[in-house]
Amino acid sequence: MSVAAVALGAAGVLAVLSSLAAIVLSAPLRPAAVGMGTALTGLAGAVSGVDAVLGGSMSVALPGVLPLAGVSLALDPLGGLFIAVTGGVALAAGIYGISYSRSHGANGRGVQAVFPLFVLAMLLVPAASSVGTFLVCWELMALTSLLLVVAEHRRGPEVARAGRWYVVMTHLGFVAVLIGLLVFAARAGDDSFRAMREVGRHLSPGLAGLVFVVTSVGFASKAGILPLHAWLPRAHPEAPSHVSALMSAAMVNLGVYGIVRVGLDLLGSGAGAGAGWWWSLVLGLGAVSAVYGILQAAMDTDLKRLLGQSTTENMGLVLVGVGAAGLFATSGNRVLAGLALAAALLHVVNHAAFKTLLFLAAGSVLRATGTRDLDALGGLRSGMPWTTGAFGLGALAASALPPGTAFVSEWLLLQALIHGLPTAGGSGGTTAAIAMPLAVAAVALTAGLAVATFVKAFGIGFLAKPRSAGAEHARESPPGMLAGMGVAGVACVVLAVLPTVVLSGVEAAAGAAVGGAEAVSGALTVRLVGVTGELSPLMLTLALLAALVMVVGAVRVVAARRTARTARLWDCGGGPMSARMEYTATSFAEPLQRVFDDVLRPEQDVDVTHHEESRYLVRAVEYRRKVPDRIERRLYEPVLAAVATWGRAGRRLATGSVHRYLGYGFYTVCSLLILLAVTR
Amino acid sequence: MLDLWRKIRRTGRVAEPAPPMPTGEPPSVTAVLAGSVQLRHVDAGSCNGCEVEIASAFGPVYDAERYGARLVASPRHADALLVTGPVTRNMAEPLRRTHEAVPNPKLVVAVGDCARNCGTFAGAYGVIGAVRDVVPVDLEIAGCPPRPEAIVEGVRKLTGR
Repeated sequence: MSVAAVALGAAGVLAVLSSLAAIVLSAPLRPAAVGMGTALTGLAGAVSGVDAVLGGSMSVALPGVLPLAGVSLALDPLGGLFIAVTGGVALAAGIYGISYSRSHGANGRGVQAVFPLFVLAMLLVPAASSVGTFLVCWELMALTSLLLVVAEHRRGPEVARAGRWYVVMTHLGFVAVLIGLLVFAARAGDDSFRAMREVGRHLSPGLAGLVFVVTSVGFASKAGILPLHAWLPRAHPEAPSHVSALMSAAMVNLGVYGIVRVGLDLLGSGAGAGAGWWWSLVLGLGAVSAVYGILQAAMDTDLKRLLGQSTTENMGLVLVGVGAAGLFATSGNRVLAGLALAAALLHVVNHAAFKTLLFLAAGSVLRATGTRDLDALGGLRSGMPWTTGAFGLGALAASALPPGTAFVSEWLLLQALIHGLPTAGGSGGTTAAIAMPLAVAAVALTAGLAVATFVKAFGIGFLAKPRSAGAEHARESPPGMLAGMGVAGVACVVLAVLPTVVLSGVEAAAGAAVGGAEAVSGALTVRLVGVTGELSPLMLTLALLAALVMVVGAVRVVAARRTARTARLWDCGGGPMSARMEYTATSFAEPLQRVFDDVLRPEQDVDVTHHEESRYLVRAVEYRRKVPDRIERRLYEPVLAAVATWGRAGRRLATGSVHRYLGYGFYTVCSLLILLAVTR
Repeated sequence: MLDLWRKIRRTGRVAEPAPPMPTGEPPSVTAVLAGSVQLRHVDAGSCNGCEVEIASAFGPVYDAERYGARLVASPRHADALLVTGPVTRNMAEPLRRTHEAVPNPKLVVAVGDCARNCGTFAGAYGVIGAVRDVVPVDLEIAGCPPRPEAIVEGVRKLTGR
């Protein structure tokens, strides 16, 4: 028995025990028991994942647990990476949940019992090694997360609406995954991944393409990729914040895992099988999602919704890396495939770290102020210094600027894309030659917009003067929540300064999928192998810190020589300055909205009411502005309207008369019998 | 763009020749300012007649900028205040704060009769007094409104050019 197997078993036992504890214990004891249990589950999961990445393998078959297929679990470095990420997020979210759910109405017996099971389901998805087990875990994950999304349903109808969107879209995705994997397994004659891997690379191109596209649609809907992202900015904000963190930082990753597992591993694209167009599709959708997601985030004024939109962006970036890896692998370039996939997987890890931190900090703000609206926040720095620091760190990590966490992975991604261009001469060369520069441009644009978005989220949300009474009287969160944020914060700093700590593991995971050699080396400096390029995040951070200290010191020295005069802050002589004079999130994003007018199509409405006596006197001016999701307008609304029309048409068939229904049954049986008689 | 260049070339220089240097004792800080004076204009309750003349003084014909004076957008950037109008109740405190906001050494120029002695608005219910009742005045420019030549002359006393 390897460490990985023991730890995964321990995680399972802990999760079930804490779920039982939630049912048995009384309300005051429940948060601590469930929180600690979930944190320990996460810790055990993380240990198991890390050990699997480092080479500890496991293979367990439990034929009696589920009917027909049984349960079979196996660990490899690729699955291990995702298990480790999920475990880490669960550790932070569990600790945070102890204090958060006590004070925030998410302490129901059902909600608390489901929470550890959700973590367990997410830990088991990457460990599943047969189609049956995979689908059961996938569905368990979907159902438990749905229950958590609607946990605060008493708060308002929008929670139920988010839950409806989520349940429909996640199940349509599940159906797609189910169809794809069953078709594949039927051809393999066995539902274990090992048998499918044998058959995968010998499938006919048409069938392989079908399996890939259908499963990818399902997985993309889980990852929030365009155009299947509509549920994500609805469901993630409405869930309790530690659940949002788990969903946004861990669950969406499993969509990426699915695409990598099925496409690169089972269908054999990593070994050169499969077609380039699959991966061009993935790359294209990833690039579009990245730009569109961050653009929506830049426009949004709801703090948690903004973070949800940013998840779409980051998953898009990851899929750009995965798509590039697939393109390189199918054209036979193992080194770049390894590099691109390592960049993508490193971004998965980084995104999990900073998105956990950001969602936990946003939850802390929500708890203290009662609002998520950026236009009603501000001035939290004095009341909530630790939360402000945590969100600031997360915002820095999320923007692709040194010394941020996302900078390292996006740098690796750009290196892979840029170096992909000269080697594009092989098969599928034209596609790569067109796709790579466009992808570089998309990644660069996304990085720029991400900076604007997080400057907005941090600057408007936390600095300046408070814009509402709730923000003015905000008090710091209890130590339990701060400890949860601390875990995620430490992870962010380590990933930003010493990414080499995790790079070897990430590479092992990438190597398991594309079979490439080592793509990145170095202890303190990230050195690319096979192509030229190196980066030292530690030195970069030290240099930036030194420059900062020098600038501050120089300013101090110069200021000390001059005589200082205390004067009133210049407020145009009017004063005192009020919060209404501040920039709002809406006005901050307005220039960007103008630039991207053609993409966003904002809707504006000005209503002028006149006095009765004269049309020249204005009584009131009402101005409304909305930036609707254009894909939703164009794609979802017509489909939903069509479904509603069919439903109304179908109502004519179901009038409520029992005789008619009996008649339907009778005629259906008759026509089936006739059909069978004719065809046999 | 080309039209603009053509217009500039056709119009040529419209500034009037510089009048002789004004006589009289300049304020003592003129030497410190060394020929460059940044002015912040404050409307303390003017009828806007003086504003029209100030705009004209800094326009292409009288071109006060050639003597080293410049209108700036904040008292933090200014060496001197150009105050017009009688000081109204609502503007007294902002005027005081604007004066505080100007870095030392600072000058105040009262432009127009209203700024000097409330002019035609003297005794009005909203007027609390002339500029010198609120902030110390270093230079006064008479006229209702003062002609642009008078404003340019006053400004030249500050710059010494």
